[in-house]
This record gives sequence, C-alpha cells and structure tokens, in this order.
Amino acid sequence: MNSKRQRRFELTIPSRLEEMQAVHALIAEAVKEYKLSSEMAHWIELSISESMINAIQHGNRADPAKQATLRISSSGDAIEIIVEDEGKGFTLDKIADPTDKANLLKPSGRGILIIRSFMDEVDLSFRKGGGCRLRMVKKLRGVDGAHPK
Amino acid sequence: MSIVINPRRLDDVVILDLSGRITMGEGTLVIRDRIKKLLQAGDQKFLLNLADVDYIDSSGLGELVTSFTTVRNQGGQLKLLNLTRRVQDLLQITKLLTVFEVFNNEAEAIKTMK
Repeated sequence: MNSKRQRRFELTIPSRLEEMQAVHALIAEAVKEYKLSSEMAHWIELSISESMINAIQHGNRADPAKQATLRISSSGDAIEIIVEDEGKGFTLDKIADPTDKANLLKPSGRGILIIRSFMDEVDLSFRKGGGCRLRMVKKLRGVDGAHPK
Repeated sequence: MSIVINPRRLDDVVILDLSGRITMGEGTLVIRDRIKKLLQAGDQKFLLNLADVDYIDSSGLGELVTSFTTVRNQGGQLKLLNLTRRVQDLLQITKLLTVFEVFNNEAEAIKTMK
C-alpha cells in the first residue's frame, strides 16, 4: 500500500466569490499533481467548490475582511481536504434535507448533500479562537472509485 | 468557461442549447435573464438541452429549479434534454429527477409539449 504523502496545496482568500477563480486554479494544480482521473477530478472540484462557497457565503457572510482557507493533501491512498472559515458554524445534522418533498423546489440548500454523496468522510468542527473547519476525505482506491454514492 | 446559450425554435417550443458550466454567479444569471425575456415575449414552452453541460454546482441546480417554477407558475412548461452522466447523477442525488421531465430524444420531448 502506498501511503507516501505527496505535495500539499494551500490557499487563503478574502471572502469574495470572485476569489473562486483562484480556488479552481489550485484544484486544477492539485488534480494534475495527484494524477486523478477525469471523473475523480470532477467530483473533487465540485465538492471543494461547494464547501468554499459555503465558507464564503454562509460562514463568513461574504465579509471580505474574513478569510477562508483551503488545504488539499494526498497520502496516495486518500485525498484530504480541509476548508476553514471564521463564521459561527453550523451542525451538519441540523441542515434541512433538500430531498424532502417540502424542500425540493427550494433554490438552495443542496451543497452539503452533494459533498456527502461523494466524499467518504465529512466532519465539521469548531476552531479554537472561532470559526469552523470542514474536513473531507476521499479514498482513491476502493470499490466505487470516483462515482458518487 | 461560463455558460453559453444558443436558442432555436421548433414551432412554439424554444430549445435552449446550453454549453459550458452552470455555476454560482454569471452562469446562473444568464439563464434566468434569457428565460425571463422569452416569457415576457410570450413564449411558454422551453426545452433545455444540457448535452454540452458537464458541470453544474448546487447554485446551478437551484437556478434550474427556479426557472422551472417560474415557467410553471405562468402556465408554461420547462423540460430537460440530453443530460450528461454527471448531471444525471446530480439530479438523482438531489431527487430533482422527480421534479423535471427528462428526455434523451428531442423529437420525443417536443411531442410531449404539444
């Protein structure tokens, strides 16, 4: 089993949606470095993008004075992604189910569902000194590969 | 690449050939504005061809839902055509396949909109 840690990627941005271009550029760099398949790269990009937009919009309330940080690393067996914001936080289990009939026609609220459907591990914790830390892990070897659950 | 919309018309159905990414921001506003203008001009039947859309985020999905409800509330129809596997997966995960009528054949889709 290859568990050699590979190059890490990190980016801290002010909470503006315009900064998402830099996020996508960093993801592209990481995907290339880790030699991910097109399918895996797609779902990794989508999951990171959803979590960074959440951090900017919901966590930091789009306040450019607050920062969002993205860290991507790979052990060769799995990719770990960490997204941190300076917001008040939320509880994953208290998010309304967007697949509930009452919520199906709502325009928002599907980001975490998408992330959870693809990632193997998703956990949220509060950071010392304030803010939230979302940690996601995607195994690179396994039965289902890149396909969402 | 942001979204590009090429509209064409078959009888009273407006087919919007979309290509690119439907994402938070510009990608979603372009669709909203185009459908709004067509509704104002009197169009009521829309078929969104997503064959060349390989990436939609949750905001993009939200925009499809908003467009669907806007059109439906005005007595119209909005259906989807030619989903890529990834977009199909997203609609399945979010159960939006229970909301939208989806087709793989344009002529069949149009037949259902008469």
